Amino acid sequence: MKTDYIFAVLLFFPLLVIQTTIVPLIAINGIIPDLIIILLVFYTLKLGQLHGTILGFIYGLLFDLITGGLLGSSMLSKTITGFVTGYFYNENKKDIYLKSLSFSLIVLLGSTVDSFILSFFSTTDLNISITTFFIEQGILPGIYTTVFSIIVIVFYPRRMID
Amino acid sequence: MFRLFSRLWSSFKEYIVLVVLVIVSFFSLSINQKPEIKNIRAIAFGSFAAVTSIVSDLINITKIKSENKQLREVNANLMLQVNRLREYGLQNEELKNLLKIKDSLNYPLIPASIVSKSFSKVQGSITLNAGIKDGVKPGMPVINDQGLIGIVYNASRDYSIARTLRNFDLKITVKDQRSRIDGIMKWNGENLVIVNVPKTYDVEPGDRIITSDLSSIVPVPLPVGIVTGLSNIKTGIFNEVKVKPFVDFVRVENVFILGIVGSKQINNLELNFYNRNEN
Repeated sequence: MKTDYIFAVLLFFPLLVIQTTIVPLIAINGIIPDLIIILLVFYTLKLGQLHGTILGFIYGLLFDLITGGLLGSSMLSKTITGFVTGYFYNENKKDIYLKSLSFSLIVLLGSTVDSFILSFFSTTDLNISITTFFIEQGILPGIYTTVFSIIVIVFYPRRMID
Repeated sequence: MFRLFSRLWSSFKEYIVLVVLVIVSFFSLSINQKPEIKNIRAIAFGSFAAVTSIVSDLINITKIKSENKQLREVNANLMLQVNRLREYGLQNEELKNLLKIKDSLNYPLIPASIVSKSFSKVQGSITLNAGIKDGVKPGMPVINDQGLIGIVYNASRDYSIARTLRNFDLKITVKDQRSRIDGIMKWNGENLVIVNVPKTYDVEPGDRIITSDLSSIVPVPLPVGIVTGLSNIKTGIFNEVKVKPFVDFVRVENVFILGIVGSKQINNLELNFYNRNEN
């Protein structure tokens, strides 16, 4: 468990490098996938809700410090994301969630929650409706992140999950 | 008590941790502007940026070639633009100077631009974009802010041709402004020279030459040039005075045509007087 935790934190840094250098190149209308969320959801389903919540907090703290964003914004959004996705943790259903498309659906939920909460800290147009706001700022980034999570599921070595 | 806390913890630890972390997150939002936080962020950001810059450089290598081509094209366009702006700037300066003359002279001034130049060794002439419809007549002097350029030789409806001072066919009576000595200035193919100036006359290098009031072509005093030297001809009693014109004939573009011509009445009177005396 401890090694998993340490590995989860260490894996964050190279993923953040990719997130900040390569991922912006594949942006669509300013929307980019969030690889950190995929990592968070993966370890939450693997380690549990409590660990997922704390991991989300750590990821958010490091993300805000390193990328220069509003300190506390990613902390809050990823903490809540880790908590929400932790509801899907089940000791007996790890295989089902981590090796199937259920993982992508959980990533969609987590990413939507994360993007939605994070968007409240950016400049928002108060004239648009909440539905439009939710779709633009929550659903669309979530869908793009979900597409990437499918790639992870397809190519991830099965023995690592065990 | 401890047991109560232990039971609460085991039942609600996820929620307790969530609440604590959310509170910490909100607290962090409020301390964003503190100098200590800024310092920590600067260190974290700086260290991470060193790594990402290496990765960025590797990615950018692939884009460099196409970017290079694009930048070269942009560079070429910018060079043309800068050149054009420089031209406008110089033109602006020239026009401003011309406006000063317009304000200082009381004679009618017809503005014109040089549309073409023809500078051979002996027949320098310029074509101006002002003609009869603008009031231009043959015989009118052409000037700019530096001095006399030439005399209008011929005019059509919209254009006119002027002989410049560097034209073999144009001879003008000029005066040394200092010593008030008159002479005939002409172009000898290489220099402007005042010919047949007696060696005893007081003309020195550096003297300012203007058009003479004796001239029948240019009835008003206009700057012409500056004496650069005297060709001391050993035989004979005359000197040849070399004059460097004030006007740069190669660079001049915008001019004024002085809307006056020498009085025909005076010319006829003088001609009749001389003819009568000869007879």
